Amino acid sequence: MEFDFFNNLATGFTAAATFKNIGLALLGCLLGTLIGVLPGIGPIPAIAILLPITFQLDPLGSLVMLAGIYYGAQYGGSTTSVLVNMPGEASSIVTCIDGHQMARQGRAGAALGVAALGSFFAGTVGTIFIAAFGPPLSALAQQFNSPDYFSLMVLGLVTAVVLAHGSVIKAIGVVMVGLLLGLVGTDVNSGITRYTFGISDLWDGIDFLPLVIGMFGVVEIIRNLEQPVMPRIPVSTKIRDLWPSAKDFRESWRAVLRGTGIGSLLGILPGGGVVLASFASYTIEKKVAKDPSRFGKGAIEGVAGPESANNAAAQTSFIPLLTLGLPSNAIMALMMGAMIIQGIEPGAAVMTKRPDLFWGMVASMWIGNLMLLVINLPMIGIWVKLLSVPYRLLYPAVLLFCVIGIYSTNTNFTQLVLTAVFTLFGYILVRFGCEPAPLVLGFILGPLMEENLRRAMVISRGDAMIFFERPISATLLALSVAVIALIVLPQFRKTREQAFQE
Amino acid sequence: MFRVKSAQDFGAAVVFMLIGLAGIYFGKDLTFGTASRMGPGYFPTIISFLILGLGVVIGLRSIAIEGPPIEKLQFRPLFFVIASILVFGILIDRVGLAIAAVTLTLVAGYARRGVNLKETFALGAGLAIFTIVVFVYALGQPLPAWWGR
Repeated sequence: MEFDFFNNLATGFTAAATFKNIGLALLGCLLGTLIGVLPGIGPIPAIAILLPITFQLDPLGSLVMLAGIYYGAQYGGSTTSVLVNMPGEASSIVTCIDGHQMARQGRAGAALGVAALGSFFAGTVGTIFIAAFGPPLSALAQQFNSPDYFSLMVLGLVTAVVLAHGSVIKAIGVVMVGLLLGLVGTDVNSGITRYTFGISDLWDGIDFLPLVIGMFGVVEIIRNLEQPVMPRIPVSTKIRDLWPSAKDFRESWRAVLRGTGIGSLLGILPGGGVVLASFASYTIEKKVAKDPSRFGKGAIEGVAGPESANNAAAQTSFIPLLTLGLPSNAIMALMMGAMIIQGIEPGAAVMTKRPDLFWGMVASMWIGNLMLLVINLPMIGIWVKLLSVPYRLLYPAVLLFCVIGIYSTNTNFTQLVLTAVFTLFGYILVRFGCEPAPLVLGFILGPLMEENLRRAMVISRGDAMIFFERPISATLLALSVAVIALIVLPQFRKTREQAFQE
Repeated sequence: MFRVKSAQDFGAAVVFMLIGLAGIYFGKDLTFGTASRMGPGYFPTIISFLILGLGVVIGLRSIAIEGPPIEKLQFRPLFFVIASILVFGILIDRVGLAIAAVTLTLVAGYARRGVNLKETFALGAGLAIFTIVVFVYALGQPLPAWWGR
């Protein structure tokens, strides 16, 4: 077992640590940060925008670059949170609270430095977690049958809904619409086309890129344009100390350890572990602090803890994807979409059939984290300068990269029409107070759920009791019911509302 | 008569109901089948009914529970950004990336009030050069730089 552990990691690093792959990780990290640092663009739109450039690489190369993009985008998001107080996504909201206060006191460098170092440590632990728990979990996954997979997806969707922003019932609706959109195209079982309206470009289903770039990238641009011109941030000029001081380290290392532990555990859960992790870490730091009143006024633990938790969870949330083929949140759904485009069907089979790919990817996550530290940290000054480029010069460029990405992946006009349609649709959803992120999850899971439901029903000859008779499936459904029961409980509801308000 | 208390929920309800109905209507010709032999229409029809049902529930809530209003719609950014995407799609095949990129930048520029034509044109030209060098020549993407391929 122990021998395997190191052996596996060695396999991974041999595959991933080539000159070319490290270069790709580096490039991915830089580009991810570049897009992620743009105000209001969180990791989801940033990854969506950058996805197309990874498509022409070989599978491992593209996964390596994607991991770089992911960590870069997330770090870019933290940078914007700290400097401009504009969280691009739910998990950065917590970073804003104390991070921005630190920036206003001229300690932005310390905040960002601690965030990066904490994230690197957390990422390393997360990688070890995956290496240690990946094989046993995928052995468990071998015992999963269709009914179990179906119930697992139900649990994943339920959790994602509960952790989405805003109204739960609307989030359920958004997930369902995602499921339906995922079914567009040719039914694999009967060969009949569904909801294609005679458009031959839809026979293979709705393409992933127009949907995610339209609903996340372009909608973000429109939303930002609607806001009055952002005031220029005076803090950006006041970064005195780029590195955290010894005192900062002393105050934050415990928070980093706690955050890493919480994040690693919560990240494995199906459904939005990342957001939960950073909120949980912040709450705990506040509880254990000698002087909780410092929080909200620039406490470094309030940055170190959640940022580490965030990154650890981001790392371990790959576990359900890589072992069970189940994306646990919208970003993992994006990763899964990219893998499928590369011809890799995520799941336990990847580990046994393509160990180089699986372990290479695990290793590349760590390399991605390292790149973040060695390349991005010294470059904070450049990212800060980028923040001062007026938005009116930035958004046409971002928009152009979006459409070029879509068009060069699939050179036809329909793709751009689809992008326009999904932009409009995403905009309408946002306007009516529906968070669009859960839709991607439904979109990716739609065909899988149908297939597993169909198989389960064939096995049981149409008897739905099969879902309750199989122990794994029954447990997962019981958990789903428990999660639903949680939101009905008034106490949890209050905490959830508070958490999202802060 | 009822009064809409939560405009956002009401809007969402309408959207969900329309999608649910569309799913049912356009899926009506697909074979439904039975649980043990699911046809291509089985899963989508069930999902569509669930979406419709959710829409109804959200609609009822919107006339029962107070909620936030819909932010004032601004058509300008929405219109010009979407238009720029479509214009790019029409142009790229016919006249190539150079002109399509400049046009996209100009159209997208109008998404803001008080557009500075000279500056936007310069930005467009710069982006055109950059994207042609990077995407067409360096990355070898299947994009025509000019017309006639």
